[in-house]
Amino acid sequence: MRILGIETSCDETAAAVVTGEGEILADVVLSQLAEHRPFGGVVPEIAARAHLEHVDRLVAEAMSRAGLGYAQLDAVAATGGPGLIGGVMVGVATGKAIALAAGKPFLAINHLEGHALTARLTHKLAFPYLLLLASGGHCQLLAVLGVGEYRRLGSTIDDAAGEAFDKVAKMLDLGYPGGPAVEKAATSGDPARFALPRPMKGKPNCDFSFSGLKNAVRLLIAALPQPVTRQDAADVAAGFQAAVAESVADRTRRALAEFRTRWPDGTGLVVAGGVAANGALRQALIAEATAAGLPFIAPPLKLCTDNAAMIAWAGVERFRLGLTDGLDFAPRPRWPLDPKAAPLKGAGVKA
Amino acid sequence: MIVLALDTATSACSAALWRDGAILARRLAPMARGQSEALLPMVAAVMAEAGLGFGGLDLLAVTVGPGTFTGIRIGLAAARGLALASGLPLAGITTPEAVAAAIPAAERAGRTVVVAIESKREDLWAQAFTADLAPLGPPAAMALAAAAALAPGDVVVAGDAADRVLALRPDALAATAPGWPDAAGVAELAARHWAAGTALPPDPLYLRPADVTLAGAAPR
Repeated sequence: MRILGIETSCDETAAAVVTGEGEILADVVLSQLAEHRPFGGVVPEIAARAHLEHVDRLVAEAMSRAGLGYAQLDAVAATGGPGLIGGVMVGVATGKAIALAAGKPFLAINHLEGHALTARLTHKLAFPYLLLLASGGHCQLLAVLGVGEYRRLGSTIDDAAGEAFDKVAKMLDLGYPGGPAVEKAATSGDPARFALPRPMKGKPNCDFSFSGLKNAVRLLIAALPQPVTRQDAADVAAGFQAAVAESVADRTRRALAEFRTRWPDGTGLVVAGGVAANGALRQALIAEATAAGLPFIAPPLKLCTDNAAMIAWAGVERFRLGLTDGLDFAPRPRWPLDPKAAPLKGAGVKA
Repeated sequence: MIVLALDTATSACSAALWRDGAILARRLAPMARGQSEALLPMVAAVMAEAGLGFGGLDLLAVTVGPGTFTGIRIGLAAARGLALASGLPLAGITTPEAVAAAIPAAERAGRTVVVAIESKREDLWAQAFTADLAPLGPPAAMALAAAAALAPGDVVVAGDAADRVLALRPDALAATAPGWPDAAGVAELAARHWAAGTALPPDPLYLRPADVTLAGAAPR
């Protein structure tokens, strides 16, 4: 089986071809970082324009690298949401059109399901497992029980973790994207110099919140001598990163306990999303998984951040189960993996 | 020559198969939104109705704008995807030309043609043509008053923003043609431009830079 995957839901345009055995025949990603950097965040209209400009070329490159013609595909998968709708529409129209012209089935993939199933592509992991998905657009803890079967254990009630990193980096003038910039500054900083809150720590649920921490950082920076020195910025970055790591570790610890109770045959703690690249956070999560007696599984960074191999792989999993979609599929700006989970106040698209 | 044409650039959605002046199959529906769901089923329907496979086609065509940014992208992404997987050439046609070409010759005779396309802002997209459809300038974003003053003398006005222009030009003739492109007309124009080597590349004609609003900045 060979599936073409297309990803256009945020600021990466990507195309990949993956086989039923999990072999990645091609995986090409074009980052729009340079287009968005001047604005310190993703601009939806700029993203949508860039997706249209590049997606067909990237698909052609992926097919060429895979050494395949369109007739040799079994199906075409494209991210159908959630995400920035202008970009999703470009990928969906492209995927549907290729499927129609090649006479192959079309699969609309939930971007979050792409992240959720990546550990099965990279580690052949069996269900059920606990997933922490932490990126610029999402922050949630999910029990992954099967294809299309998820239980949300916790989610952010305001900002995504990556969004908080971006905003703090902007406040400290560290550059964009914020995750790597904050982590780099933090290496020469003292995480204990400033007392910052550990959001949600000890709360009886598994939810996240980063808005209060972000505001605490804003007030802290405003109270520092201006302009902020390099060392002060490093100490703020280190303090912020430690607060995020401690908060996420606390939330994950609670989720692990709940997961172990409800699904005693659980196979691991999986992390996905760009925030999973943060070293301090990763160390804290490894400690939590070890304490819970579960393997810690982190797909390679290239497959943790937005990519099309995960979309093609989710396509493989869904195609095997006969879960194809019609050409009338409507792109979905919001698409929770666990639609039965109670809505969280203010969580919006990130839940 | 058999042409498959698509349009979602303004306030409609259509797909048509055209062969040497005859419409083999056509689907068209006015719609302000929903083209993302409607377009490819329309393409599948016209192909099935004509009993054609993509191997039996000679040319693909699509409107490139101006119009709604989302609509332009849906049509172009679909057309470029079809071209990629079928290996067919793809011709771009502007929306004002497609709208103007649908005006009956009797209404154009002795008049300048003004096409006004909705931009969902105060200004609109407009372009003027001679009675025999030669462009008098490029399509451009302009204020309503400028669009109304685009051509002196006798004019016929068409497009999905025609009513706004006609309100300032009571002397003008309102075209009886629909205000949106029809894929069948797009196909015919594409065949002619392709033969003449004057078809546009399948690239969007936005005519306005991107609005800079950060993702997640909107109130929720």
